[in-house]
Amino acid sequence: MKTVVLLSDARNPVSGRAQLSRLEAQAIGLAAELDESPQGLHVGPGEEGVSAGLGHGLCGLDVIEAPEGEDPLPALAAFLATSLKSDEPPALVLCGRRGEGGLDTGLVPYLLAEALGLPILADAVALRPGEASDTLVVDQAMAKGARRRVTIRLPAIVTVHPLAPPPLPFAFGRMRRGEIRRHAADVSEVPVDVDAGERPHRARPKLMRTAGTASGGANLHVGPDPEEAARLILAYLEDNGIRRYGQG
Amino acid sequence: MSRPRRDPRAERDNRTVESRGRTRLDFGRRETLPVSGRMRRDPWREWAASLAGETDGERKRYDRSQRQMNRAEAVRFARARETLDATDISPGQPALRVIDEPAFLVFAVVETAGGRLSRFDRQVLGAARLLADAGDGGGAVVAVAPESVEGLGEAGADRLLHLPRAATQRGRTAALKAAVDRLAPRHVLLAEEGDGADCARRLSVALGEPLFANVEHLTARQAVRAIRNRGAEIGLAPPRLMTLGEDRAKPYEAVPCEAREIEGGPATAPADPAILSVEIVPGDPAKLSLSETDFVVSAGNGVSDFAAFRDLAAAMKGTPGASRVVCDAGLMPRTAQVGASGTVLAADCYLALGISGAPQHLQGIAGCEHVIAVNTDLHAAMIERAGLAIVQDAQLVMPALLKLLQERET
Repeated sequence: MKTVVLLSDARNPVSGRAQLSRLEAQAIGLAAELDESPQGLHVGPGEEGVSAGLGHGLCGLDVIEAPEGEDPLPALAAFLATSLKSDEPPALVLCGRRGEGGLDTGLVPYLLAEALGLPILADAVALRPGEASDTLVVDQAMAKGARRRVTIRLPAIVTVHPLAPPPLPFAFGRMRRGEIRRHAADVSEVPVDVDAGERPHRARPKLMRTAGTASGGANLHVGPDPEEAARLILAYLEDNGIRRYGQG
Repeated sequence: MSRPRRDPRAERDNRTVESRGRTRLDFGRRETLPVSGRMRRDPWREWAASLAGETDGERKRYDRSQRQMNRAEAVRFARARETLDATDISPGQPALRVIDEPAFLVFAVVETAGGRLSRFDRQVLGAARLLADAGDGGGAVVAVAPESVEGLGEAGADRLLHLPRAATQRGRTAALKAAVDRLAPRHVLLAEEGDGADCARRLSVALGEPLFANVEHLTARQAVRAIRNRGAEIGLAPPRLMTLGEDRAKPYEAVPCEAREIEGGPATAPADPAILSVEIVPGDPAKLSLSETDFVVSAGNGVSDFAAFRDLAAAMKGTPGASRVVCDAGLMPRTAQVGASGTVLAADCYLALGISGAPQHLQGIAGCEHVIAVNTDLHAAMIERAGLAIVQDAQLVMPALLKLLQERET
């Protein structure tokens, strides 16, 4: 199935240089399992940074040249809408779950799904084609290592979770062989409203995880029978909702 | 002058107490609260709380769990010095906080996975409580949950809104949007994790409202979030739609609220036509990595039968871990090592079998909320750290646990 991977304008947090986001590199790895020639799509001033995606497994890259700071959403929606109407429409659009270098809200895939009228699924860690044609089985990451296996009708937008398999190794020759197609964007003259209150980031400490109130102070048992100790341990686990035993 | 004139002699007489056959001045006694309004610390009582046994009380036991003395414990140790009235935390406090006519509403959307409030759920409710009490206060926190769970009132929820547990995220968002349209809350808070994060973004698109995602610092006046890959940040007055980062807001700990159920949620959530089937695949604890699991069963030098230990970890549905000594001896793989040079856990619960608790090991379990220790040494650091401490040989407790688990299974 034809797959398009959206590549964002990610920035290195230290140097500020353009780079390929790791999440998107993982998305390319997932796309390469479904599609022999996955394509990339990027809106921005140039392909610096995102061209590394070709080395990680993309076969072609569409770059819509838009000035820096421009909202990428109209250009993305217009390009994908035309390709969805073409003879060979993409079945799957993959993207990272958050940007790295812009406002980082993670809203672009959702706004794009709204604009194109496509269903969206978040936090994929594994993809495989469904039994029926035009379906896809997506494993979504959940807390505590659980997975939610969702069958979805294509075309769809899927965002990728950091627990997805690591990216394919980078190959320089592959990057040189990849085809980059440049397109001109209709300049909308509506820049993203950058908030005036932007200031350097200050790392703030997180709350310390300390023992909860449920585990009081004096729960100390000196020299109980082993059977009594086992009963106490299981009762503690069940009272605090860690595990339930003996219920299948 | 409206202030009454002080009488130093009367004050001195008032503070004079008889003790051990001679009079002395008790400077701990206060007639009125200090001007700051805060209660005095009582170091004597804190010292008494750190004693090891309740019967002998001779041996000092240093509490490294960094646990604040809560109200119940303070009462338990009240007999340490009965004449001192400094820890009457809040006399005349009502047993339940009731807000009848809320000036505005704050939605806190909680997941209640497994029918319980998680730590993150409590933090979201705490942040909502902070916003509801902002300014003049009078706001009410509405916990939006799929079911009624225990402890919502203690976590700070004034109202409870039932939202049906939808099969798909699209259905859940539609139901939430209907509730937001109907009740018009001032703020809607969600957790920046899993389904909460997904739901917040869908809601933001559906409402056409900007989302202030992954808030790192929240006060009544401003909310701060990182942008540009954590290179910069923006701070605004708390906007309407926010998601809170994990461990970024304190849970609510004051007087319980009422958590009264209100009407307003739709009865059923619409389905998503594009989703054909949904199936939950539970995680296998034996295959999970130590940093991802929620329950670790760990062995130390007090364990010698490792076949039984592996059976026990599997039967308890926990991920096996080990201390450095055991990994150095080659009895468990290096990937199972817990501690500063192994894995720093994010698990909820840790069962330490025969581990005394070296400082490097305790660093690795600093994030665990519940710790169970089985050890032969009463004065081991792990026994002090544990929420349930059992002074017994781990080699004897392991077969007893296995036997009890097998009885439960049948």
